[in-house]
Amino acid sequence: MICMPLGIYISVPFCRTKCSYCNFASDVFSRVVFERYVDRICSDIENAPRVAAEMGGKMERAVDSIYLGGGTPTVLEAGQLERIFGAVRREFEVNSEAEITVECAPGTLTSAMFESLLRCGVNRVSLGVQSFVDQEAAAVGRLHKRATVLDDVARLRAAGITNINIDLIAGLPHQTAESWEFSLAETIASAVPHVSVYMLEVDEDSRLGREVIAGGTRYHAHFVPEEEAVADFYTTACDRLQEASIAQYEISNFARDGFESKHNLKYWTRQPYFGFGVDAHSMLASVTPENNAVRFAPADSLEQYMKGAALQRTPVSRTAALEESFFLGLRLNRGISVNDLSSTFGEQAMQDARAAITEFVRDGLMEQRGDSVCLTARGRLLSNEVFERFILADEIAF
Amino acid sequence: MDAASIRNFAIIAHIDHGKSTLADRLLELTGSLTAREMQAQVLDSMDLERERGITIKAHAVRMMYTAEDGHTYQLNLIDTPGHVDFSYEVSRSLASCEGALLVVDASQGVEAQTLANAYLAINNGLEIIPVINKIDLQSADIPRTKEMIESAVGLDATDAVLISAKTGQGVPDVLEAIVKRVPPPKGNPDARLQALVFDSWFDAYRGVVILTRVFQGTLRKGQRIRLWSNGTTFDAETLGVQSPKPVEIEELKAGEVGFLIANIKNVADTKIGDTITDDANPAFEALPGFEEIKPMVFAGLYTVDAHEHTRLREALEKLRLNDASFFFEPESSVALGFGFRCGFLGLLHMEIIQERLEREFALELITTAPGVRYKIYKTDGTMIEVDNPSRWPDPSEIAKIEEPVILATILTNEEYVGGILKLVEDKRGKQKTFEYVSSSRVMLHYELPLNEIVLDFYDRLKSVSRGYASLDYHLADYWESPMVKLDILVAGEPVDALSIIVHRDFAYERGKLLVSKMRQLIPRQMFEVAIQASIGAKIISRETVSAIRKNVIAKCYGGDISRKRKLLEKQKEGKKRMKRIGRVDIPQEAFLAVLKVGEDSD
Repeated sequence: MICMPLGIYISVPFCRTKCSYCNFASDVFSRVVFERYVDRICSDIENAPRVAAEMGGKMERAVDSIYLGGGTPTVLEAGQLERIFGAVRREFEVNSEAEITVECAPGTLTSAMFESLLRCGVNRVSLGVQSFVDQEAAAVGRLHKRATVLDDVARLRAAGITNINIDLIAGLPHQTAESWEFSLAETIASAVPHVSVYMLEVDEDSRLGREVIAGGTRYHAHFVPEEEAVADFYTTACDRLQEASIAQYEISNFARDGFESKHNLKYWTRQPYFGFGVDAHSMLASVTPENNAVRFAPADSLEQYMKGAALQRTPVSRTAALEESFFLGLRLNRGISVNDLSSTFGEQAMQDARAAITEFVRDGLMEQRGDSVCLTARGRLLSNEVFERFILADEIAF
Repeated sequence: MDAASIRNFAIIAHIDHGKSTLADRLLELTGSLTAREMQAQVLDSMDLERERGITIKAHAVRMMYTAEDGHTYQLNLIDTPGHVDFSYEVSRSLASCEGALLVVDASQGVEAQTLANAYLAINNGLEIIPVINKIDLQSADIPRTKEMIESAVGLDATDAVLISAKTGQGVPDVLEAIVKRVPPPKGNPDARLQALVFDSWFDAYRGVVILTRVFQGTLRKGQRIRLWSNGTTFDAETLGVQSPKPVEIEELKAGEVGFLIANIKNVADTKIGDTITDDANPAFEALPGFEEIKPMVFAGLYTVDAHEHTRLREALEKLRLNDASFFFEPESSVALGFGFRCGFLGLLHMEIIQERLEREFALELITTAPGVRYKIYKTDGTMIEVDNPSRWPDPSEIAKIEEPVILATILTNEEYVGGILKLVEDKRGKQKTFEYVSSSRVMLHYELPLNEIVLDFYDRLKSVSRGYASLDYHLADYWESPMVKLDILVAGEPVDALSIIVHRDFAYERGKLLVSKMRQLIPRQMFEVAIQASIGAKIISRETVSAIRKNVIAKCYGGDISRKRKLLEKQKEGKKRMKRIGRVDIPQEAFLAVLKVGEDSD
């Protein structure tokens, strides 16, 4: 059950520029806003125990992962970052082994920032590279070049931060099979131990997505590769990274042995986390037995968040928890243990799921490995089709 | 009242030529309704009638009018349905009158519908008074309109009454013309009772209400009456007239028109065209012209949600209480589950029933392609009538097939004739006549297979004529034709709800179009899906829906989990609205596509 050290997520919704594919509530703001935002985050951190109680969630003080995501957290001033970490360490007991990650846009790491990161105990950096082909990066509004990335990686290493992740996007405008191979080769050559590969999401939530749907030409939308090509890029990435011993452990995440992100694994294994800032979601174990857990989140716009809009609370029933166990757990290459789920949720609740699993195994979308089941490569590309089957029509009577 | 003071008349007009407005003016002028009581267009009382500007049920309204000669006359306005689907009802309504107003729009001229009903009136021996309406409009062309009335209808239009129903101009002249030109009814109030049923409907509080015209004898309150066609007897509980509010009366004498309520539970008992007579002292013969109504167009009706099947049955039963002219029987489809095979008088009738089911009963329906009833002569010497593709016999058992053929009258402007001729030729039409009814207006008579009309003829006629063509038709003949059953297979499984009966020469093209439409409409599945058209075992067309490569949310972190759940739920909901055939999810639009496949062939 959920009673383990907490993960902490801090959202910094600020950027130097907004990238065309971005579907997050981030934007470009003035430094005055930064300061007020940091004040607000720090006060939220102080209030965390009270909020957890109000929400009906159990909150551990022990923390073994912190993740600063964005946006671009490194646009904050060194002092602001330190205030945030200070607040976290006052309110929580951050384990000495804790994984502490900060997302960085390549080219934003000043030496002052480096020193600050180290002072804060940051031991993992995630670089939003997206592409090593300068034209591709520029087309979506990234401000860096390939050389900037390589320079950042070298400087991080020199500073003692070797646990580095590189984000890549498959499906950027102008991307081709060759250019994608190039980005993969550069990533592998940089010898980072962790890589995330995201297929471009074409939906109404980003400017680029809307333009692609509308069939327009802004943001290079007409140069976005076909869906088939993107699926091929993804498959190529899985193969190349595997060959380089950077093994896939989640639909979009790859790592050398032992470098899997501790923090992100919490999301997929339903361990508790507490989020602070705009649109930062939390999940805690439920204090009352009728629910398995409780999820809550503040407003997803900066304006509403700063105004102190109420948190939105979503209790997670046992049925919902079972569904989550499937659609989150199956994202992992190691899959899920059906017997474990059965002992948690009861065999009665598992009957539909077992039938679905048999069918998916037959159709080559899932495979059985001892007690565990996991998705096949094809199953990962069609994972929404698989997951949908584990969304139940009605609440199960437990 | 003395029969000499009675005038029974109908109004014949094309949609929008002003029938309802004129009726309202007449009611106003005769003081039957004050202007305050007038709800625009009083007579079309069903919502659907008002919205579409059409009359589905007949009405009979009594007005008292004191003419210039000082006499007071009883005027009975019998409002008839105006659509070709209801031509039998129209003929019975007209049979109840001695005269008719032929209302023609001064700028639009005579339309096919008007023409058909005018002929019907002439054949029933009615005195016809041409009325030219909308003379206040800039575009009014009175001489041309008169010319068309004379050449197309064959009536002398010299004494046509010129009016604007909208402004009221000329409307008093209409009342005078009715009194002077429509003959009074004949008939002996003391003879044996013969009364015509010209419409009936079910009222939730009063049971079946019959509209009747007494031809001979007198219908009295309390009288034991008998319905000729089935011999059932009832007590005439209530007699009345609408003026236009219902007013009870004691008797209806020969020549009079009114309503009758006789504790009749089932509207199917009161057939339109039937004769009412006295049970103890019956007439020697029925009134002429009675026919059993036969449905012409057939389709399957299914609910989107299979659980609503019982609700659909209840709704159909309720509607049938009010409309005995459509029939239904249970049918089941592998693809769509349990539903009903329904027969309608025509396409409009089908649309009306469908719309009422959806609107009044909040049902979501899937309708299969409308078809007609074929006569199939089998090799064993028997003949069967088949209106459902699923009952189509094996080709080896078929000796010959006959399909219903209609005689269509199309009136249009000269410039659209080319497009229309191409359309009717495409639809296997045979020209009977081609004539100019005015310098620019053409009347065509064509024989056309009904099967070609039910699919998309109206829409295509409208589009090739930009709306300037009117159509009327009646069943005329049967042709021997090489019809075949075209099946659609999805992933190797025949989808029975998509089968259609089609002329052999059109089968290949229709199959190709259907298959290509299906390919666009069936979403990609997790595996490749073949879509085929076949006649018997022979595949005539094939396309493939390739398998989906990816459906994946790449990013799923803390905040994405709630969003992801919503997305999965939406996806699941979307699939629930599809019909699963074998392992393939087919959206509802695919079932509708079969109705529309002809549209793209232009």
